[in-house]
Amino acid sequence: MIVEKIFNKWILVFLFLIPVLGFIFEEPYYITLTTKVVILGIAGIGLNLALGYCGLISFGHAAFFGLGGYVTGILSFHALNSELIFSWPFVTSGSSEMLLIWPIVILSSAFLALIIGLLSLRTTGVYFIMITLAFAQMLYFFAISWPNYGGEDGLSIYMRNSLPIINTMDPLTFYFICLCWLLIVIFISAKLINSSFGMAFQAIKQNEERVKSVGIETFKVKLLVFVISGTITGLAGSLYTDLNRFISPSVLNWQMSGEIMVFVILGGIARLYGPLVGAAFFIVLEQTLGGYTENWQFWLGLILILEILYVRTGILSLFEKKLKYEK
Amino acid sequence: MKNKILNIKNLSKSYGAFKVTDEITIDLHFDEIHALIGPNGAGKSTLIKQIVGSVKHDIGSIILDQEDITDLSDVERAKIGISRTFQVSSIIPQFSAIDNIVLSLLDKSSKTFQMFKSVRNNKELYSNANKILKEIELFEKSDISASDLSHGDRRKLEVGLALAMDPKVFLFDEPMAGLDESGTKMMINLFKKIKSNSPILLIEHDMDAVFALADRVSVINYGKIVATGTVDEIRKNELVRDVYLGYEI
Repeated sequence: MIVEKIFNKWILVFLFLIPVLGFIFEEPYYITLTTKVVILGIAGIGLNLALGYCGLISFGHAAFFGLGGYVTGILSFHALNSELIFSWPFVTSGSSEMLLIWPIVILSSAFLALIIGLLSLRTTGVYFIMITLAFAQMLYFFAISWPNYGGEDGLSIYMRNSLPIINTMDPLTFYFICLCWLLIVIFISAKLINSSFGMAFQAIKQNEERVKSVGIETFKVKLLVFVISGTITGLAGSLYTDLNRFISPSVLNWQMSGEIMVFVILGGIARLYGPLVGAAFFIVLEQTLGGYTENWQFWLGLILILEILYVRTGILSLFEKKLKYEK
Repeated sequence: MKNKILNIKNLSKSYGAFKVTDEITIDLHFDEIHALIGPNGAGKSTLIKQIVGSVKHDIGSIILDQEDITDLSDVERAKIGISRTFQVSSIIPQFSAIDNIVLSLLDKSSKTFQMFKSVRNNKELYSNANKILKEIELFEKSDISASDLSHGDRRKLEVGLALAMDPKVFLFDEPMAGLDESGTKMMINLFKKIKSNSPILLIEHDMDAVFALADRVSVINYGKIVATGTVDEIRKNELVRDVYLGYEI
């Protein structure tokens, strides 16, 4: 475990170094790429709380990612054309202030996760997977068929949303904003996992029946984990819209849910930094293999199969073992 | 009524035409160990499941400490003081022995929803858990992951989880199954000690243990209670010999 912790520190060092090097050598593309890794890492860390630590196999986290993205996109879109979003029950106009957008994204993702959680946590296993998937697909088709915000074509925002004083249009600055969020999310997750609440939800993953019998309201615990998990993923969606200055229904599609799940599984289920490593690996594969063939996901599939057969607990555990043997 | 902590009336449950429990009426006094014996498939474990609420009964009522708990859910019943062990050890496999006990202490100390304090720095929880581990003679193994414990130690841990809840009544489902002699002895002494705090409804196949421990014994067969009485009464009861004990006693 200690070796893994050292490795995690190195991950953070790399996250500082790569974009700075990209800046020095004037390769902004690498900054964008690392930003993408960080944002997708946040999405994965959100899912990992539910999937990895609590055993809630959600196949619908794209719903939160997409909601966060669309809330950001819509607010920003209206700020630009200065039309009201709606005038009833209260007058609501758009905004391009991140400091306002973030709380709205957090609240709306939490609310969506509460609704989806209340309905789907009554089921377990395959049924839970299917219901979460169904909710995400509902939102996907809704977004496709809603012409006001671009429908299938998606919605472009011409300026990245702004923060006071800081220039968010600068790639390196925006990268460090995302990195701050990553550190906050890792900090919160670590606190949760080590708390007594964390003890309860990690026990639920292993033996819910037993946890019930010692008087713990497992439904409430699971619901709360699901809400926290969805909220974190929703926040990642907001940053993703700002990164691309574009949002389209594809982030609500089940493929997105699958990709977030792949980050978690690639990096290592129930490992704090796992989804981050998974996302990095995914992006690197996409960039390298994607250069040779359009069908790079074939190789991703092969790697996933090999990993699940032989490593099981993700890339991080592979690394942990290697270092141990070296000692 | 006053000397009864748990009072079960006419509890019935059928799966189709098959009556698993058939109008069972049984009670648990303060200060006693009430053993429930009967052949396999007689309905003992189903009765336990109905009392803890994981299986809903069709008719009947359950009264705990003068409160009707018939309509409460399993978690609510656990919270107000029904604590059980499982026939097949049911523990949190990847938790250490002591973490298993701490999990069981969370609800009583209202720590389930405490999110930002490290649970492992909570000295009070861990010292209480250590006390329980000493009682069940697992103190030396507190850091061993539960999945690595021997079968006997898991049975002990199972009882420890129930003990940690400090409930109003214990429902023990074959706690001695598979224990060695010293383990059984430890359990017998432990049960004698804790019964004054919280009486015990005990399902057990080890007749020596039952006769050493029980204040009263009920015999269940085909989902019906066929006899209830003191150990001596049950030993002499011919019907009981027929259905369960055989003739050698």
